[in-house]
Amino acid sequence: MARSAVSFHRVLEALSPNRQIALPIYLGVTVASVAVFLAAWQLAAGVIPSPADVLAALARLWTEQGLFDELATSVTLNLEAIAWTTAITLALAYATVVPAVRPIVAAVSKLRFTGMVGWAFVFTLWARDGHQLKLWMLVFGMTPFFVTAMAAVVAELPKERFDHARTLGMSEWRVVWEVVIRGTADQALEALRQSAAMGWMMLTMVEGVVRSEGGIGAMMLNENKHLQLDAVFALIGVVLAVGVVQDGALAWLRRTVCPYAELTTERR
Amino acid sequence: MTYPYELRDTLIKIEDVHASRGGSLVLRDIAVEIKNVVRPDVADQGQVVGVLGPSGVGKTTLFRILAGLDAPSRGRVLVGEAQIPVRAGMVGVVFQHYPLFEHRTVLGNLRVAARRAGLSERDGGEARAHGLLERFKLGDRAHAWPSELSGGQRQRVAIIQQLLCGHTYLLMDEPFSGLDPINKDHACELIAEVARMDERNTIIIVTHDIREAVKVSDTLWLMGRDRAPSGEPVPGSRIVETYNLIDRDLAWRPGIERTASFDVFVRELCDRFQTL
Repeated sequence: MARSAVSFHRVLEALSPNRQIALPIYLGVTVASVAVFLAAWQLAAGVIPSPADVLAALARLWTEQGLFDELATSVTLNLEAIAWTTAITLALAYATVVPAVRPIVAAVSKLRFTGMVGWAFVFTLWARDGHQLKLWMLVFGMTPFFVTAMAAVVAELPKERFDHARTLGMSEWRVVWEVVIRGTADQALEALRQSAAMGWMMLTMVEGVVRSEGGIGAMMLNENKHLQLDAVFALIGVVLAVGVVQDGALAWLRRTVCPYAELTTERR
Repeated sequence: MTYPYELRDTLIKIEDVHASRGGSLVLRDIAVEIKNVVRPDVADQGQVVGVLGPSGVGKTTLFRILAGLDAPSRGRVLVGEAQIPVRAGMVGVVFQHYPLFEHRTVLGNLRVAARRAGLSERDGGEARAHGLLERFKLGDRAHAWPSELSGGQRQRVAIIQQLLCGHTYLLMDEPFSGLDPINKDHACELIAEVARMDERNTIIIVTHDIREAVKVSDTLWLMGRDRAPSGEPVPGSRIVETYNLIDRDLAWRPGIERTASFDVFVRELCDRFQTL
């Protein structure tokens, strides 16, 4: 009796704000959430494809329609875009330590407010092939957001950190390396996680605009065109799974490279 | 009975420093110097100067000028036996919130400082870092991250970092801020210990904690603004009084804070604070 009261109390903690809960409780809540989601999905079958239909469509896409190859194309494209975006973004954000570069970075940041599709023609003139066109559209789509986030991180570094490095006799470039580059590595990796997630959001659109290479986005649009909703749902699930794995890998990388980053957070 | 001592070379000289911020005068006519205090009966007696003044009097402005982080609008600060104009990096600085490189462990922070002083691991930088960690009772925290340290531990690491850089002159901004009475005592002991590590070690503490400043210093600079006959404060603070605590028999005496003369002097300073 007393034991069940303790367990009930622990479950109640999961519903209270700002509490730490034990891993088994957390896993229990996750499993329960998934079960509720699947039940609701099953109940909605008829309006949308049932989970079984989606699984069958997934098997068909994998065995008959070359889902693996399409997925590999998309993953490769996305990773390539993330690499370019990261390189361009970090170079621009760190360059904001030089006052003359700040207006350029501010202009890049404002590109968030321009639609990506409208620029497709410009990129067509520039790109050698369909792959390059998709790549640069993705990079163009992700970079302004990532640059905005990272430029803000650099701009908000407290003056005291710079002064501390200077009092140790560091040159200004050494201060940039220690305070700006190494000192913001954890935030750069966190911003990268968000940009990488955005990449998967944009991928479908980009692969829809340029279908020459295929990819999971093109595949999804084809299935959508033929009203194969079970296949569309299966592809959404695949993108979700790949995105979650990628996000988990980046989170692991951040924890490994920057173990200090979460030491003072409440939800460690 | 006062301890015998003599004043020798000038170690830090502030020459006619004026400073303005946003068009208004913050500091004016600051002209003081710190000399090497030598005690015939003590091998390494460094100097501790307390800079006291009420909030908003310009202590931080003076602190940044002394650190070489900001330039005065007039005058200059000369440092060392060669009396070289101060630049950032020539004077050690321990800021109020003890900033450290959060992406480096305690030892990593000390390695950076040792390398800045030209001490590689092979040249003994590592051994010196470990030695100082042991001396300051942080031997078991070498591999901790800064965010895992208490305020007192961060303060000690920040001081060690500056000492490893080879700094003889150390500026400390509000070293007693936010500390409980026990930790304030520890901070005082720490400052006295650092001062005693080398004859030329000179520590300038900028604070508004009167008791602690009197307890640990051998000289006090009191900052404040003069008042016009109408009672209005004159723009720009200056050092309105320099107290030699050695001559008053208030310096270097263990347990001085428990004496009547200490209390009398602290009350005198408190009364003076009201007029600044």
